[in-house]
Amino acid sequence: MELLSRLADSVEQGQSDNAKDFTQQCLDQGMEPNNVLLEGLMAGLNVIGGRFKRNECYIPEVLLAAKAMHQGLEILRPLLSDADAQSLGKVVLGTVEGDVHDIGKNILGMMLEGSGFEVIDVGVNTGADKFIETLQQEKAPILALSALLSTTMPALKKTIEALATAGMRDTVKVMVGGAPVTQEYADKIGADGYAVDAATAVDVAKSFL
Amino acid sequence: MKPRERFIAAIKRQETDRVPRFNRYVGAVKQKMAPIFGVDPNEFEIKQGNDGVLIQIGINGEYSHRLVGEGETYTSEWGVKYQGIHGFNQPVEHPLKTAELGGYKFPDPNKPERMDAIRAAMKQYHQDYAVMVDLSCTLFEAGFHLRGMENFVMDAYENEQFVMDVIDGLSNYYEKIGNRAIQEGIDVIRIGDDVGVQTGLIMPPDKWRQLVKPYLKRMIASFKQTNPDIIVKYHSCGDFSTIIPDVIEMGVELIGSMQPCGALADPFKIKEEFGDKVAFLGGLDVQQLLPNGSPQDVREGVKKVLKAYASGGGYVWMPAHYVNVDVPLENIWAMLEAVKEYGNFPINID
Repeated sequence: MELLSRLADSVEQGQSDNAKDFTQQCLDQGMEPNNVLLEGLMAGLNVIGGRFKRNECYIPEVLLAAKAMHQGLEILRPLLSDADAQSLGKVVLGTVEGDVHDIGKNILGMMLEGSGFEVIDVGVNTGADKFIETLQQEKAPILALSALLSTTMPALKKTIEALATAGMRDTVKVMVGGAPVTQEYADKIGADGYAVDAATAVDVAKSFL
Repeated sequence: MKPRERFIAAIKRQETDRVPRFNRYVGAVKQKMAPIFGVDPNEFEIKQGNDGVLIQIGINGEYSHRLVGEGETYTSEWGVKYQGIHGFNQPVEHPLKTAELGGYKFPDPNKPERMDAIRAAMKQYHQDYAVMVDLSCTLFEAGFHLRGMENFVMDAYENEQFVMDVIDGLSNYYEKIGNRAIQEGIDVIRIGDDVGVQTGLIMPPDKWRQLVKPYLKRMIASFKQTNPDIIVKYHSCGDFSTIIPDVIEMGVELIGSMQPCGALADPFKIKEEFGDKVAFLGGLDVQQLLPNGSPQDVREGVKKVLKAYASGGGYVWMPAHYVNVDVPLENIWAMLEAVKEYGNFPINID
């Protein structure tokens, strides 16, 4: 137990090397990989997510925690059984057309993964077609869209409209976010969810399940 | 009164006839607006009533002034690859792939042509207008271009020495070109580093004080040595309120862009707290109000900003950033008219 909490702490502190070592040590002691994932890696990421939500830590600290979690996850992944690897659901994630900002999107991607979602990150400057194609290929029920510029916010609306045209509006839940985006704007363009930050966005994604 | 005198008096926190203006528009908006005013797009900002001109040199000047076609790319002298995306040049590839400077060579600050635009602006405008030279992005944010934002902010924790080495290299470069610009007789030198996000600083203030502040301090001291009267302006987007006292302490006289978010959302409080030590530029919300508000909302927004910041002097009018392509013409008009109507001393706004 103590080792797991040290693992969680190392993720929270963003210590990649320690996260890797403690993950290995947990396995060496015969712990179940899924347990190491949930009680160690994810537990640590959830703590930092909570602090971020309360504005008690800074963006690089979240990035470092996510990086540390991934170090441990790389060791665990081949050992997780199919049942363990069952995700909460698939989320297609990307920054909309005309916008190459990706730090917020990346933080959300890592937090969603840390919370048990399977994330398909289609990158930045992504057109509606690409989102739709990926949603279809992956049969993903959730689409998370990011826009950092007031000038690219209309692409959020455009993407949602394209989804409707493709006849997928009822089968895909759409959440939107990014610095200039507000709940009011999200409502106006008919998004299913909005989040002010990545940690809140994880809650929104969970509410879709 | 000449626009330049008005501009400088405002920074010295004096009331004159009216609040000086420094509106800035992205290229596409200038193209759209200039014919309405019957002027050349290059002269649009001055013709619509600005009291000063801005010349950008350094990383931003190099990429934001260069026209790149949609989807086309080019690699700058710094080794940063930019792509034209929706009318903006965006950095898409960074020269520092790992947290090592290795053999990286910063550009030569002594190239004669770096002063060409400044000399031209001095000749054309300085007799009447204030000339501000912009060195943004200067230190921490310039590191984003060289190393990628995500990497560089993590380096600030994992490889502090590397971050300081990058910033040292940048500050040497900018100190030299900044001093050259000052020797040309400019009025204001602008240092810009976006270290604020919507809710506060991107990193703990103490980390900024450790990694960035010493270099900024050295640079400003050098500028003041070249010309003790040079006005130093510091810019950051987002809420950088926690380091405003540090910035003032280093000799900065003008700060912007007072994006109304986080602790900067209350301009009255900010003016109250710092208004006797520094002048302000900016303040009108460009994320929601200017593009999405009604002309009446814009008018009310302008009134609030002027009432808070301009009373007693110490304020130069500008929205919190460029006027971008998503701002309806009627909102631009409402903004300009409201500034004209309410931006006269004494400020008298209910």
